[in-house]
Amino acid sequence: MTSLKQDEYYDLIRGVNWTPKYVPEEEIFPEEMSGSRGIPMAQWEAFDEPYKVTYGDYVQTQREKDAGVYSVKAGLERANYVKTADPGWVSTLQAHYGALAVAEYAAATAEARMARFSKAPGNRVVATFGMLDEMRHGQLQLFFSHEHTRLSRQWDWAHKALYTNEWAAIAARHMFDDMMFTRDAISTAIMLTFAFETGFTNMQFLGLSADAAEAGDHTFSNLISSIQTDESRHAQQGGAILKVMVDNGKIDDAQHMIDVIFWRTWKLFSVLTGPIMDYYTPLEHRKQSFKEFMEEWIIGQFVRQLDDLGLKKPWYWDTFVADLDQAHHAIHVGVWFYRPTVWWNPAAGASPEERAWLEQKYPGWNTTFGRTWDVITDNIVRGRLNMTLPETLPLLCNMSNVPIVGTPGDKWNTKDYPLVYEGRLYHFGSPIDRWCFEQEPERYKGHMNFIDRVLAGLVQPPDMAGALAYMGLAPGEMGEDAHDYAWAAAYQRKAAE
Amino acid sequence: MATETLRNNRVGPILRAGDVAKAAVQAIERDNPGKAIHIDDRTAYIRVECDDECLLTRASMELALGRPFEMREIEISLGSFSGNIDTSPECIRFYFNKHV
Ligand SMILES: [Fe+2]
Ligand SMILES: [Fe+2]
Repeated sequence: MTSLKQDEYYDLIRGVNWTPKYVPEEEIFPEEMSGSRGIPMAQWEAFDEPYKVTYGDYVQTQREKDAGVYSVKAGLERANYVKTADPGWVSTLQAHYGALAVAEYAAATAEARMARFSKAPGNRVVATFGMLDEMRHGQLQLFFSHEHTRLSRQWDWAHKALYTNEWAAIAARHMFDDMMFTRDAISTAIMLTFAFETGFTNMQFLGLSADAAEAGDHTFSNLISSIQTDESRHAQQGGAILKVMVDNGKIDDAQHMIDVIFWRTWKLFSVLTGPIMDYYTPLEHRKQSFKEFMEEWIIGQFVRQLDDLGLKKPWYWDTFVADLDQAHHAIHVGVWFYRPTVWWNPAAGASPEERAWLEQKYPGWNTTFGRTWDVITDNIVRGRLNMTLPETLPLLCNMSNVPIVGTPGDKWNTKDYPLVYEGRLYHFGSPIDRWCFEQEPERYKGHMNFIDRVLAGLVQPPDMAGALAYMGLAPGEMGEDAHDYAWAAAYQRKAAE
Repeated sequence: MATETLRNNRVGPILRAGDVAKAAVQAIERDNPGKAIHIDDRTAYIRVECDDECLLTRASMELALGRPFEMREIEISLGSFSGNIDTSPECIRFYFNKHV
């Protein structure tokens, strides 16, 4: 039997459009789900994904990928890495799984929407694979984290976090819902597959895999880098949709969507990825700083790619570049200080050696963020732990849902960017967060961040105890200092001398 | 620094560490004669890049691995890539449209 080569039959099997006779096109592809923006069907048929896979190849390759990650897991099970790992690394894993494992199923829904409603037949085929990919990611990450649930209740949050009203979970859910659950097929292709997946997922699934390998966590390193091989394939839908949009005069629309979601993603990753790379991962295992990983993956690779496709850097580029030295350091202080309000144990990462590393990677860190840590450290040395714990709640941004922060010290620049819309006062952490809101107030106006809920009387009693109960955090779940303040020992010795 | 990083023409695969990654380095050297190959080894993954265009053929992969190789197998190792991609059963091409 002679068999055809893939490139000889590929276009044929992908051409799954037909002319409907019984139902009008707009009923099969309602605009609010398809988002075809007036571009005719024939133009969508020009969609040509550059990363081609047939179903037979897909199944075989995915089977081989799974065989790989499961065999690494099985081979290392007895070594029980997590049980003996540095507590900072355990926190990294817990934060990762809680924020992302269940979100993979949201991504599967987003892929399914493209698979059903995109007018581009090739998009529907590739998105079907993408949907299966995302189910794989959800299943793998819930399964790999599950074996640790006997170690502590914090591991339950791998599955539980996104179903709670914990503040960081609200922030992640708001961003993921915006991008994955509430956009038409074409917007999903641009925002999720193009901006999010060719850009930021590389940070969390390859950048972090480098740190994981350095830390000796080969199970996790292998798992997340294998996940990213799926991402890299199905992310290519975005570029192909982008090309149809550019060819049909919709480049401004595409640019606008990228500008919105790039910022939203940046804010979320500055909470999730920034602290784990620069503070939680043990110093000797840090392959690069968070900023260096951002320069490698986001600036050198993703934004360079934007330029190649005829798009521009987001309009707020200079602010974004400046924020690389600020956002995650500020958020880290906040997360550590408010540690009872998260489901992992934040590592301070502020020992003398770690501070030297931070100063080297971020010149000026000591005179800005370092001064905040001076005060915290001093309180620990003097045994005033109560002064390192929160009693009140911070002001949260109504777009990113994370605390409104800035750079401390002489450069103090923390500022609220307010907006009154339909009689309600909103607060934003930056002019760009406010700009995102102003682009589509109808989409965002009803949402209440954690503080809005306190003010609305949903959190009772309206104090820290009531807040923790509302967030679903019981003792044994709420975070503590990952190293039980061992990092402050050197300062204690110095003070004793 | 951030803006300098942006000014580059590097394209190519970013491969999960392993035998296929090692073979791909050899294959890319063979498939892109006369070009400088830039390698960044980050333990878990390795960047193999050259300027403007980078080819990787099935034939060179077979030669480097010393066994039959289907092009689709590269996906198991292909964590990411820089530039645009074109795939076919015999060759993968990474490229930029524009030189900066
Ligand atoms: Fe995924
Ligand atoms: Fe994905």
